[in-house]
Amino acid sequence: MQSQLLISKGARRYKRFGALFGHSLLVAIASSSVIALLFIFYFIMRDAIPFFRIEGVKEFFTSTHWYPSRNAPEFGALSIFVGSALVTLGASIVAVPLGILAALCLSDILPFSVRQVAKPVIEMLAAIPSVVFGFFALVVFAPLLQTHGGSIIAAGAWIVFAPLGLVVVAVASDVATSRLPGRARAAGRIGAAVLLGSLATLALLALTGFLNRLPVSTGTNALNVSIILGIMALPTIVSVSEDALNAVGRELREGSYALGATRAETLVRVVVPAARSGILAAVILGIMRAIGETMVVWMASGNAARIPSPWFNLLEPVRTLTATIAGDMGEADQVTGSARYHVLFAMAACLLAFAFIMNVVSEYAVRRSRRTKG
Amino acid sequence: MRGMEIGTRKLFNRSFTFVSIVSIVFMALALVVLLGPIFVKGSSAFVFRATIEHRELMLERFDRGDRAAIEAEAARAEAARKPVFDAIRGFEARLDTADVDFRRRYRGDFNELKDLALQLLGPMPGEEEPVLLRRQYGQTRWDRAKIRLHGILFAEEYDYSDPSKMGVKVLKPRVERFRGTSLEPVFGELERGAEDMLRPRLAWYWRFLFDESYDSHFFGGIWPEMLGTIYLVLGAMLFAVPLGIVTAIYLAEYAGESHFVSMLRTCISSLAGVPSIVFGLFGLAFFINTLQVSQSKSVLAGALTLAVLVLPTVIRASEEAIKAVPLTYKEASMSLGASKWRTILTVILPAALPGVLTSIIISMGRAAGETAPIIFTAAVSVGRPLAVWQTLSQPTPALPWNIYNLATEHQAIDEIRHVQYGMVLTLVALVLILNLTAIVMRARISKKLRG
Repeated sequence: MQSQLLISKGARRYKRFGALFGHSLLVAIASSSVIALLFIFYFIMRDAIPFFRIEGVKEFFTSTHWYPSRNAPEFGALSIFVGSALVTLGASIVAVPLGILAALCLSDILPFSVRQVAKPVIEMLAAIPSVVFGFFALVVFAPLLQTHGGSIIAAGAWIVFAPLGLVVVAVASDVATSRLPGRARAAGRIGAAVLLGSLATLALLALTGFLNRLPVSTGTNALNVSIILGIMALPTIVSVSEDALNAVGRELREGSYALGATRAETLVRVVVPAARSGILAAVILGIMRAIGETMVVWMASGNAARIPSPWFNLLEPVRTLTATIAGDMGEADQVTGSARYHVLFAMAACLLAFAFIMNVVSEYAVRRSRRTKG
Repeated sequence: MRGMEIGTRKLFNRSFTFVSIVSIVFMALALVVLLGPIFVKGSSAFVFRATIEHRELMLERFDRGDRAAIEAEAARAEAARKPVFDAIRGFEARLDTADVDFRRRYRGDFNELKDLALQLLGPMPGEEEPVLLRRQYGQTRWDRAKIRLHGILFAEEYDYSDPSKMGVKVLKPRVERFRGTSLEPVFGELERGAEDMLRPRLAWYWRFLFDESYDSHFFGGIWPEMLGTIYLVLGAMLFAVPLGIVTAIYLAEYAGESHFVSMLRTCISSLAGVPSIVFGLFGLAFFINTLQVSQSKSVLAGALTLAVLVLPTVIRASEEAIKAVPLTYKEASMSLGASKWRTILTVILPAALPGVLTSIIISMGRAAGETAPIIFTAAVSVGRPLAVWQTLSQPTPALPWNIYNLATEHQAIDEIRHVQYGMVLTLVALVLILNLTAIVMRARISKKLRG
């Protein structure tokens, strides 16, 4: 302060001007990401709007006739939208339950030392480039699925349902025998467990038999892509929801334990509800990762522009927005200006709008979760 | 859970723990299943049983190896091949003079056999040198050679005897077609003497990383792709790092909680959520078609596109690094009379440097693996390594793009699997090493800041 009082008025003005200039330069540079986002919107929209002007809106969203290279081209992209949605749905079925469970395990169940190892492993999974997942899906997984399709799906069903069945049988037999008097109880419980267990095994075997007979005509199908995309979305879901779970304070957990709740009860009824906005944000981010993914779907989804029948049949090949953009731009590039070129920008605009809306929603969710805690 | 027995509740608790641990195990398993084949098969691009053809190729194309020794070995291999070549030549001469029936019976089968044999062993000495490089040498890898040999010994045929089903593939010994001719013993000689003819030996081909590729990846290494990826990553960092760090400084040190800052943060996270293929289209529409930084695809355009893509990553991680610097550092500097700018430049940034470096390393890994943004802006399938000044105007091959390209669009996808796997392994190793470095650095920083 002393030195500032002594310097001349001119120098002080100069200094203030310099600070102002420096600050505005800083703001200008810091706004570069705003500018980048605006430019992305502007340049995608600029090339997307001509498509809607030439071809109209209705056909694009409602027709399934995708024949862009014909003499009289048709640009009905409904089946491509359905393909994207189907693959994303499949991926979230894989990733959401698994991701949330894994996040719970990381935040509350595993000891600290294991967590220190598990977190970098998840980071590595997140860092693996998408083209590597695509290569795996195309070169390793698709041939496997094509040759032993049914049995692989059956094995997947075992992996999912065997632990769940075990838990359900154990809990159910316990509940069923809880009213029995003390002595009969142990025997009754074993009997019920055996009975229910064999029933569950039979059900699972029947399911296996059904799955084994499923005709898998091609390995590059929606199921392949869904599983791989689900695995790709996992790290995002796990790390974001783990952050949300950690942000739920110790006090809530300790309060719940003090009331005599077990750990599972605490997690399910106290911690998860408290962290639900953060978990919602995690799920949204995971879904965005799946819907915006290009290489895996381009390489391994089969790229057939039709709606599977019935619509949830994951064993048929599908075509997604991202793969269409990536695959068709090569052909459209030479004829810049035609609808063939602009339609791809129209698809990109849809993706961009969807991503932006989802992002704002997740941002809102994260902020709300922060506010409720703070 | 109200009204449940305590035993049941305990059981439920235990099952919940069990299921959630299963989910973690499943994730670890996914990582192993994914990386296992890539590491096992990818390493076969570097370590494999190389035949004499490989050594000859190395000698002739790259001038590597002991010339005298390789030539002596080649002569020995040639001697072992002589009976086969002689039989083929003899049969060919006979075919030219034989009657129509004989010709009609054997011409097609013989041509097929000769073609396969030459693919296995390389051109016969004294014949015209083939134009295609891949026909100038036999099989350079013993694993491929064994597959070829199997293809010579057994012909694939389809059995259509059951008209209700699709044709069933059956393998028939090819020797059946040549029973009673002078070619009959050739099959036995090939089966017994293949090792003598090709002399497989374990080779350690680390130069796979640094060799140029020949004949669209049939031979040689992946240097053009490596170099292209390096250029793209460094170029992207060149643009993204200064912008990202300045933004991070602003957010960490200057910004309060105004509406502008909140909008800025929303924009940054939205930018991070934009699908990568949209970045590709944006790069095409903006950097190439509008700004015209280059005539068409170029490394520069690709690097700019990637820079926009990694900008949010750089900003977020650098901001965290800057915020992690203890407040006492700043207070000490300010109390000595340093201005805010000076404090940031001389105290905070140096203290945050390791963390900022970590963020740069993570973004490098991200940029190296991205494919979709460079499809329309930078990547081509075939190309030579570029000089630095060429990156301003020319496109380049790059690891992620060429993995896609070789695995889906190459003319002989099955024959260059080892190159594809080698490329995938290289990319994965590159990204994982970058990330591991970042993880280790971060661990050390947090230890330092804590202690």
